[in-house]
Amino acid sequence: MTAVIETRKVSFSYGKLKVLEDIDLKVEEGEIFCLFGPNGCGKTTLIQCLLGILKPSGGTVLIQGRDIKCMKTVEIARKLAYIPQLHEKPFPYKVIDVVLMGRVSYTGLFSLPRKEDRRIAEEALDRVGMLSFKDKPYTQLSGGETQLVMVARALAQQTPVLVMDEPTAHLDFRNELYFLETIVHLIKETKITVVMATHFPNHAFYFENSNTASRVALMNESMFYAQGRPGDVLTERNMYDIFRIKSKLVSHKGEEGDVRHILPIKTFAEYS
Amino acid sequence: MRRKLTAAGLVAAPFLLIFISLFIGRYPLSVGEVTGVLGAKAGFPSPSPLPIHVNVVWDIRLPRAILGALVGGSLAVSGAAFQGLFRNPLVSSGILGVSAGAGFGASLAIILFGSDTFYVYAFAFCFGALAVVLSYIIGTHYTSTPTIMLVLGGVVVSSIFSSLVSLLKYIADPYEQLPSIVFWLMGSLASARFRDIAISAVPMGIGMAGLVAMRWRINILSMDDREAQALGVNIAFVKGLAILFATLATAGAVCVSGVIGWVGLVVPHIGRMLVGNDNTVLVPVSLSIGAGYLVIVDNVARTLTGSEVPLGILTSIIGAPFFVYLLKKTKGRGW
Repeated sequence: MTAVIETRKVSFSYGKLKVLEDIDLKVEEGEIFCLFGPNGCGKTTLIQCLLGILKPSGGTVLIQGRDIKCMKTVEIARKLAYIPQLHEKPFPYKVIDVVLMGRVSYTGLFSLPRKEDRRIAEEALDRVGMLSFKDKPYTQLSGGETQLVMVARALAQQTPVLVMDEPTAHLDFRNELYFLETIVHLIKETKITVVMATHFPNHAFYFENSNTASRVALMNESMFYAQGRPGDVLTERNMYDIFRIKSKLVSHKGEEGDVRHILPIKTFAEYS
Repeated sequence: MRRKLTAAGLVAAPFLLIFISLFIGRYPLSVGEVTGVLGAKAGFPSPSPLPIHVNVVWDIRLPRAILGALVGGSLAVSGAAFQGLFRNPLVSSGILGVSAGAGFGASLAIILFGSDTFYVYAFAFCFGALAVVLSYIIGTHYTSTPTIMLVLGGVVVSSIFSSLVSLLKYIADPYEQLPSIVFWLMGSLASARFRDIAISAVPMGIGMAGLVAMRWRINILSMDDREAQALGVNIAFVKGLAILFATLATAGAVCVSGVIGWVGLVVPHIGRMLVGNDNTVLVPVSLSIGAGYLVIVDNVARTLTGSEVPLGILTSIIGAPFFVYLLKKTKGRGW
């Protein structure tokens, strides 16, 4: 079976500064693939290479077996939908108009969204439980609601893959959890594949704990330090190696078997 | 049903206003006299109207009203498009330097060839377009047209051309050329004849039609570049196309009318307050409002006093109170 996304020795540099070096990854259908690592390790750059927004300086990105270099912007948009970390709202568009933008790769340069597109957009809003917000100006939404609208827009794109760049970075405690729940729900319902950059190891554990096929790549200094199942990669040892922190892996009985989390305990910073 | 009625009203309003304009002016004409002229021109067998009536209706008022509608529509539509494109509601149709460039072109033509309208149009149009090309080149110098670089390019180019206009004013003959330059820069439709429409309607028509046709894409272009690309839009191409259409429309308008402020900035905002920010609706609504608005203001310009009041002065004097009224009434809704 071909992987949904595959990279072979992908590297990228801004001038002389190397940001990605020999990245090899395979994302299988229906799984959630987390990119985890410290600030500046290259997660966002990698995500943009996957989306074809940045062109890798070396190596290849394959989308369902096809080299991304040979794909047009429109073709990529029908395979990968993107959910940004923080969406800037230039104008108070209605929620439905924002979701409709997900349909643009299916329409011609000089055409308007059709009835069918409207139906798909409404369905997508309904999926994330935001249909009642349809006609509201989206500038009035909270951060959590906005991210759900971004998910709806991505769903309206009807792609096999969602690519998310720290989608919960600006959400509060509950909204973060609700966002993750929504994603798990989507994966189970639609077999959609997810690639997600995150700052929190517990996101990867959350997906594993909810019995979603999940893998995590631990990134450090433009390379993959380790990749595999969250339980194998996100160890106290690796946390020390990458972040120089002491952490504690905890495990307890949840509703559906064992639930694991990793807690940060202390850094080894010296204060004078 | 209500939508269709509104749409029909929007299409009809500028035409209705053009028709009404035929009755407005210093020379009083009755309904029969005006329709008589129109009928005769349309080839209906009717008693031939007085030459003075034909002259007033057909040679002066009608071309002026039609040109006013075209210019107003062009400025408003490209203003709306640029506001979307630059994700900034304070942007107007002149953001990439087209007005400054056209002003320079017109001034240069006045100095070189006197007030021969053909050269003025040609120079204004070419330099207006050149200014946008220069801004675009400055903007794209930095990978893939980031918006801020484009705006900076526009600022740089505008200021260069404004300085050059000042230079031309300085060296111009103060009795003949200088007044023409100053008058041109204030904007006017006074010299409008059908010949002018024939020349300028082509770029304005193409520009407006193009922007109206691609109006949904303007929604997408108002998103962050990365998002827009991930949604499947080839940004460099689509943005370039939108800029091309907007430039055709604006340069076509400015070259015949001179610099008319306000319309390209505020008419889209009036539209936003009335129908919201979705460009699929906003762009055609701006066109209609802009067209109607300029026809009305031009009627005021030519009837207010015995001599002509420059249009560019009136657009904001009349528009500003109306805008404030609308702000109060809608409580800034849409913002």
